[in-house]
Amino acid sequence: MIEVNRLTKRFGRVTAVDDLSFTVRAGQVTGFLGPNGAGKTTTMRIILGLDTATSGTALVGGRGYRQIVRPLREVGSLFDATALHGGRTAYDHVLSVALSNGIGRSRVRQVLELTGLSAVARQRIRGFSLGMKQRLGIAAALLGEPPVLMFDEPVNGLDADGVRWIRLLLRQLAADGHTVLVSSHLMSEMALTADHLIIIGRGRLLADTPTDRLTKSSTRADVLVRSPRATELAALLTASGAAVTAEEGGALAVTGLDTPAIADLAARHGIAVHELVPRQPSLEQAYLDLTAASTDFRAAPQASESEASQ
Amino acid sequence: MTAIQIRPARAQSPPSLTARARDVIAFEWTKLRSIRSNYITLLIAAVVTIGATAVVAHAVASVPKPPAGGFSALTASFLAYAEYTVIPVSVLAVLQFTSEYSTGLIRTTFAAVPRRWAVLAGKAAVVGAAALLTGEVLAFACFAIVQAILSGRHRGESLAQPGVPGAVLAAGFVLCACALTALGLAAIIRHTPGAITATLAAIYLVGGLCLFLPSPWKDDIGRFTMAFAASQVVALHPQVGLFSPWASMLVLVAWPAGALLAACLVTSRRDV
Repeated sequence: MIEVNRLTKRFGRVTAVDDLSFTVRAGQVTGFLGPNGAGKTTTMRIILGLDTATSGTALVGGRGYRQIVRPLREVGSLFDATALHGGRTAYDHVLSVALSNGIGRSRVRQVLELTGLSAVARQRIRGFSLGMKQRLGIAAALLGEPPVLMFDEPVNGLDADGVRWIRLLLRQLAADGHTVLVSSHLMSEMALTADHLIIIGRGRLLADTPTDRLTKSSTRADVLVRSPRATELAALLTASGAAVTAEEGGALAVTGLDTPAIADLAARHGIAVHELVPRQPSLEQAYLDLTAASTDFRAAPQASESEASQ
Repeated sequence: MTAIQIRPARAQSPPSLTARARDVIAFEWTKLRSIRSNYITLLIAAVVTIGATAVVAHAVASVPKPPAGGFSALTASFLAYAEYTVIPVSVLAVLQFTSEYSTGLIRTTFAAVPRRWAVLAGKAAVVGAAALLTGEVLAFACFAIVQAILSGRHRGESLAQPGVPGAVLAAGFVLCACALTALGLAAIIRHTPGAITATLAAIYLVGGLCLFLPSPWKDDIGRFTMAFAASQVVALHPQVGLFSPWASMLVLVAWPAGALLAACLVTSRRDV
């Protein structure tokens, strides 16, 4: 379990993490989402004791990371997969990390086997593809059979096979009861992988919710209505307190009234309805709405669109 | 002892300090030994040092015998060593830290061993031991070569002479002191070019600049530098006005100790 409590980190005048609190539980994949620069990596670095918090605490299994003796047996982590010395062989790299925490050679061979690197274990890392380096990083993270795992943007730059491999691995680890925290700036990826989402923007918590509930809380839910007498219906709906916007092809997007209410209203006035569809926004849309206000770098047209949606 | 060994359950009690020291030394040693270019650099340094020392010995042999108390065979032994061994080994020591910072591997290191002073201590133990071994081997090799070339002309100094073994041993230690100073500076500065510049300044430049000071200051200040201290500990006839060889040894201990201590303080507080 990872507990982040009122964590704040300032770099000079910039507040990277701002009074952030959340808990990451065992047995599920927790996605840590936010736009670039939201403070995900900084938060994870503080959890790992690499950066010092300005205030607040980050505990792993009830302790600060720096208090843990042989921490690789408690927490496995992968940050930058390319942070390796090219002159070393894969085996020597993993071996050195293993020895640092009193882990033996047989486990080194085991994790290399598990990540499919046995055949290239004696080759120097210099010649490895990004996907292989990612596997190597994961091999090192799994060394101590740690109950807690943290991965920072593990699918960045991977090909489809690599992405799928990581996704299955994360699901497997969670199913085995591990605490898995995985950061990403891509909702599409987390939608497939994460059971729970922690979304931050500009260092602040925006949402801490099960993945399948994120869309339900969105204000974007509406009802699509098609009718041959759309204009008339629109006037009636507005009179009943709904908000109506015209969509392409003469359809109406209605908020403020649910499907039965719209159908009853149309029936009372003898207006035929050809299509009546309750719509939920995609996870992607819900995420974009949530983070729109806190994105650091936005393209101009997107900016005007997201401002209009508020 | 039974034939079948059962793997013990994961230890619940925290490992002893010795076990943790062994872990971090094994960690740093594995990293040091697994880079092939480290051996190549050492080999080149050894070949160049020994070759240059032989050239120096022949040059000394070809000039008429200098007045007594002047140029000794011992001094000739370490002329090449003082640069062609000290510079590459110090650079290797610098890289033990700076290469981890430049690749980002330092985060893996500090995640594995969050007590950063322990990482420093582990690196210092491994780099210090490797430098000491290299230093002693090359110092004795250099002395043997000069001795072999000069003794034919009855100008050699033998290991049987009082003070000579100590001086050769001290020459080996000088390399260890330089490498550890380099390691400490590298941990503070973090990037390679800056750390190499600072290291060379500490080893050579500070002492060199003192040579330009007016007379009482030259020795009064100079004796605290690594360059002056190193020349005192390897000399058969130490210069008067400087620290004694033993006090100079303390100077050679103080530099790396100071650098490593400062590195400890800075590294423990800094974000990586």
